Amino acid sequence: MRLLRNYVPQLTLLPSLILVAITVYGFIALTMVLSLTRSKMLPRFDRWEGFSNYLKVWNHPRWEVALENFAIFGILYIGGTLLIGLVLAIFLDQRIRIEGSLRTIYLYPMALSFIVTGVAWQWIMSPDLGLERAFHIWGWESFRFDWIKQSDLAIYCVVIAGVWQASGFVMALFLAALRGVNQEILSAARMDGASGPSIYWHIIIPALRPAFLTAIVVQGHLAIKSYDLVVALTRGGPGFSTELPSTFMYEFTFSRNEMALGASSAVMMLVLVMVLIVPYLYSELRNER
Amino acid sequence: MARAVTTRRKILTTAVAWTIGLLIFFPIYWTILTSFKSEAQAINDPPLFFFFDWTLENYSVVQDRSDYMRFLWNSVILAGGSTIIGVLVGVPAAWSMAFVPSKRTKDILLWMLSTKMLPAVGVLYPISLLFVQFGLLDTRIGLIMVLMLINLPIIVWMLYTYFKEIPVDILEAARMDGASLRQEILFVLTPMAVPGIASTMLLNFILAWNEAFWTLNLTAANAGPLTAFIASYSSPEGLFFAKLSAASTMAIAPILILGWFSQKQLVRGLTFGAVK
Repeated sequence: MRLLRNYVPQLTLLPSLILVAITVYGFIALTMVLSLTRSKMLPRFDRWEGFSNYLKVWNHPRWEVALENFAIFGILYIGGTLLIGLVLAIFLDQRIRIEGSLRTIYLYPMALSFIVTGVAWQWIMSPDLGLERAFHIWGWESFRFDWIKQSDLAIYCVVIAGVWQASGFVMALFLAALRGVNQEILSAARMDGASGPSIYWHIIIPALRPAFLTAIVVQGHLAIKSYDLVVALTRGGPGFSTELPSTFMYEFTFSRNEMALGASSAVMMLVLVMVLIVPYLYSELRNER
Repeated sequence: MARAVTTRRKILTTAVAWTIGLLIFFPIYWTILTSFKSEAQAINDPPLFFFFDWTLENYSVVQDRSDYMRFLWNSVILAGGSTIIGVLVGVPAAWSMAFVPSKRTKDILLWMLSTKMLPAVGVLYPISLLFVQFGLLDTRIGLIMVLMLINLPIIVWMLYTYFKEIPVDILEAARMDGASLRQEILFVLTPMAVPGIASTMLLNFILAWNEAFWTLNLTAANAGPLTAFIASYSSPEGLFFAKLSAASTMAIAPILILGWFSQKQLVRGLTFGAVK
């Protein structure tokens, strides 16, 4: 029995570890191997191409657009939701308590698949049906909102919809964290004559650091998963102007039968994400321990 | 940050808070509303906000044309199946990490969670290759496995944060009284763990229900859930707008209702345990 007690913890952990390890390392390794071959429609491991696939992807005009869009989307989406979420939380926190139903409403978009709410967004953003026409009818004739039809602006439509979906969620995170700010420190600061803005800047926002971490991790993970958003809203168009690395990979692997190129793009995406996120996670979490 | 505030300010901010709530809810509201309009009313000039001839026609057309019920059933099976299997695999792991922590526990947990940050495209091809090899393409069982695997880190993480809150003293007291490991788990641990497990299951059900990347890429007509069903409609401009809204409404209704009746768990689940 004692023997069992000693080994049960390790044994019970094992299935999850093995499953995660296989899905992550095993499959990523296979993708890496494929990226070095000359596979087209089917995988083949008899002819090696070396790193030239990577060069081909890197020099591809669509990949350039995909990377640029990924940067625009990632920065604006994470930054936008954090900013809006924080401002809303600070605004709402002092005056009223957002409990129950209102908080659930703020969180609802986050609980819905974008494939589904994307339908409404297509309507809102369509110049023939949505906002633009509504404003024309209400008398604002010169109002223009046809970004979704313009190749250089369509990606910002994806950003707007994404920010809509997640801002309420970030706000809920910050609201909870604001409640946890030490009241004694706050009243001490007020006694010492600290002004409202400086209290926020020097005491409250630093105290929100763990909430920032959670928000950035969750939002970062969603930004990487943004495939649904693009599929629902623009399908990569107009042309390939809202291409993302994930749509690029899908197109080359499954529609164009350029599997090796698709695999190369996937590996490049992986490396990019790791370079961006892993250092941040480690620096933050090392402090936490 | 409670401070004395005047009534007028309070009313003002309450009003603003609800306005923001309405703005956030608008696309959802609009989808639901449009689903009850005729196709002509859906693209009417000016937009109709409430006063129009409510109709259920779209719902019956959608059902007739593309067998909505089958997609719904697939969604239920995929989300439910992957959740149950995921929790079965995840509970022992979370239990071990929460109650018998070792030096590596935190690292293992972080590592598991960090794998969620990796883009899914990195493993898309190998998984679809496996699916072809084993004839799993467009089958429910294959997709259940994939959904379970991709959400497993979140399940373990959520369960771990819940289990962490269970006081260890009680377990030790039970052990002192001579409870065996089996009794300890069955009569002491389980009753206290059930709420956490339920919240985790709710969150995971929602995540799996909404999953689009894998369902779009690995299924077709046979095992496709609601996300695949809606994405399969081409651009809604013109004719199909009301029908598409009806289909969307039916896809989000279960989550809206489920979420409303379990608000607490929803909030906690969606914020990954940060908001209690």
